Amino acid sequence: QLLYDEYGTLKCETCFQCAQACPIECIDMGGIDTKNRYHIHWGPPETYGERRDESALRRSGRPVPDRAYEHFAPIDLAPVDAVLSEYDYDPKHLLPMLEATQAAYGYLPVAAIKHISNMTGAWYAMIYGTATYYGHLRFDKPADRPQADALAAARPPESSYRDALAGSLAGRGAARRRPARPRSN
Amino acid sequence: MPGLLPTPTDWPRVMLARPTAKDPADLDVAVRNGAFAGLRRAVHELGPEAIIREVSASGLRGRGGAGFPTGEKWRICATSGLPGQRRYVVANGYGADPASGTDRYLMERDPYAVIEGAAIAAFAVSAGEAIIAVRGEDAEIVRLLESAIGAAEEAGFIGPDFLETGMELTISVRPVQGAYMLGEETVLLKALEGKRGQPEQRPPHPAERGLFGQPTVVQNVQTLAAVPWIVVNGAAAFAAIGSKGSPGTVLVQARGAARDGVAEVPLGTPLREIVALAGPLPQGRTAKAVLVGGPSGGLLPPEMLDTPYEFDALRAAGAHIGSGSVVVADDRACTVDLARLLTRFCADEACGKTIPCRIGTRRLSEIAERVTSGRPRPTDTQLLGDLASDVVESGLCDHERLATLPLTSAMRYFPAELEEHILRSSCPAGVCNPIAMPATALAASPAH
Ligand SMILES: Cc1cc2nc3c(=O)[nH]c(=O)nc-3n(C[C@H](O)[C@H](O)[C@H](O)COP(=O)(O)O)c2cc1C
Ligand code: SF4
Ligand code: FES
Repeated sequence: QLLYDEYGTLKCETCFQCAQACPIECIDMGGIDTKNRYHIHWGPPETYGERRDESALRRSGRPVPDRAYEHFAPIDLAPVDAVLSEYDYDPKHLLPMLEATQAAYGYLPVAAIKHISNMTGAWYAMIYGTATYYGHLRFDKPADRPQADALAAARPPESSYRDALAGSLAGRGAARRRPARPRSN
Repeated sequence: MPGLLPTPTDWPRVMLARPTAKDPADLDVAVRNGAFAGLRRAVHELGPEAIIREVSASGLRGRGGAGFPTGEKWRICATSGLPGQRRYVVANGYGADPASGTDRYLMERDPYAVIEGAAIAAFAVSAGEAIIAVRGEDAEIVRLLESAIGAAEEAGFIGPDFLETGMELTISVRPVQGAYMLGEETVLLKALEGKRGQPEQRPPHPAERGLFGQPTVVQNVQTLAAVPWIVVNGAAAFAAIGSKGSPGTVLVQARGAARDGVAEVPLGTPLREIVALAGPLPQGRTAKAVLVGGPSGGLLPPEMLDTPYEFDALRAAGAHIGSGSVVVADDRACTVDLARLLTRFCADEACGKTIPCRIGTRRLSEIAERVTSGRPRPTDTQLLGDLASDVVESGLCDHERLATLPLTSAMRYFPAELEEHILRSSCPAGVCNPIAMPATALAASPAH
């Protein structure tokens, strides 16, 4: 398995760096996320018919059809368009663009990322790679994200380190990270 | 704003030399207190080459942790690329360590020192654009810097044809957030480019090929704030402060049971005096370890308190300046537990780009985890040592190299405590749980 090692811990972070970096494009990656929403791939155009289409169409300046993503919930793209024009369709401003998109929708909908990719020409996988790195960007509506919350709770957020340190400094009792064993007197 | 700790009156002030203003963005007050005198002198009297010579002669080294000679970095940037090349200055005000507020304190107290330093750096390397990167969460600082930049531009210190040079200098603030690693220079540049924040292989260093592939000076905000002082008072005056190999002062965040605040400290000051700034220990407690350098810092024992607080001596002692954080732990703490906590944090924040980073730090953290939870293996000490040195040898960026310091310093200075955990599954300080605790610790605990 590429994703998990023999202990079941995540091995590949699906960051797409290897596929992006490979100079002769011998690495390609494709797949969908666990909720069947983010269908992405990265690799040489020949590998994926639709990628070749996209690249060719984009180079020729024609709109890129979005067939593979039709089943995603359609959203009103006007807010993304506003963001795009504010940042001049420039992928150099991807981070503030993603932040502004999230501010408009409350999260980053697939269709919005797809639209940013189409309009800026930045590869979808690259935008996805950026968006997944930054802790404050999210892919789920705040209301329906129990899974994301559980993950966030399992991974100590940056700021909780201060408190954890204070706990460890105060010594016994405060440093405990697991519930104490029942004490028999 | 974190408080300023009282320091001995004979300690010189460089970065915090100006008095606190009621409104730090008030340009008139700042100029009356000397702001932009350095930039004026740099532009009208010195010129780019002489500035770089002056900064080199002062011996100024980067305050962001690595301590690279600043003048050298500027020289590399100024001579990289073609004469008309686009260049950048990036002020690193991210302040990655959540427990250290030194950079934040500096920017809140004297934004003009950072702006002026960035302007001098930009003039010296002929960069047309300087970017001050700060934490997105610190909306106050973003606002403060923006209004200060606006005022300085209006007064003609920066902006088009600044100080009648016929050149243009744009300074902007860029809030970034979302990961600890954003403090690392190549990661910060990636964020400014809108990319995934993973470090780059060096060389080429950012000074040769940085932001958008152009030569870029990335400098901690403290480093930049020291520059105007050097230009005004001269390299010799700066070199006279601090220690020989590390001149000048640095901001530390000293934290103990009594106090937690920022202080400007001459480099080379014995660690003991910095620990004293954090105030006395609680009644009946003795100092056990001092964590120097932040989450990836080293744990030093009281015997090492004579170590001068400067780049080289700290590295030799197994710690580093890092985020400027100095934390005092008394005898209630367990050094193995502390090392576990710190290693876990570093592993969680590692970016995942390379194997030492992605797997090395995680395995270190797993070993620490099992040692503190009663499941050690007898070979764990050996394994920790080997793995740590492999990670140091093969790391791509400093994060994974430094991430080994908490454990290696604990192994070096507190071998007995580690051995108790590994060989006898017991925690002398009675912290680690569910390890068996010695009877004495149980008797002393208030729960009984
Ligand atoms: C994990 C990590 C975190 C860092 N965090 C910061 C930071 O928060 N602020 C900073 O100025 N430098 C930080 N640095 C150091 C920078 O990479 C870089 O050396 C520095 O900004 C260069 O400026 P200087 O030469 O003025 O120190 C960090 C380095 C690493 C490896
Ligand atoms: S580089 Fe990233 S995507 Fe490629 S195998 Fe490694 S973790 Fe997975
Ligand atoms: S943190 Fe990943 S390479 Fe350094």
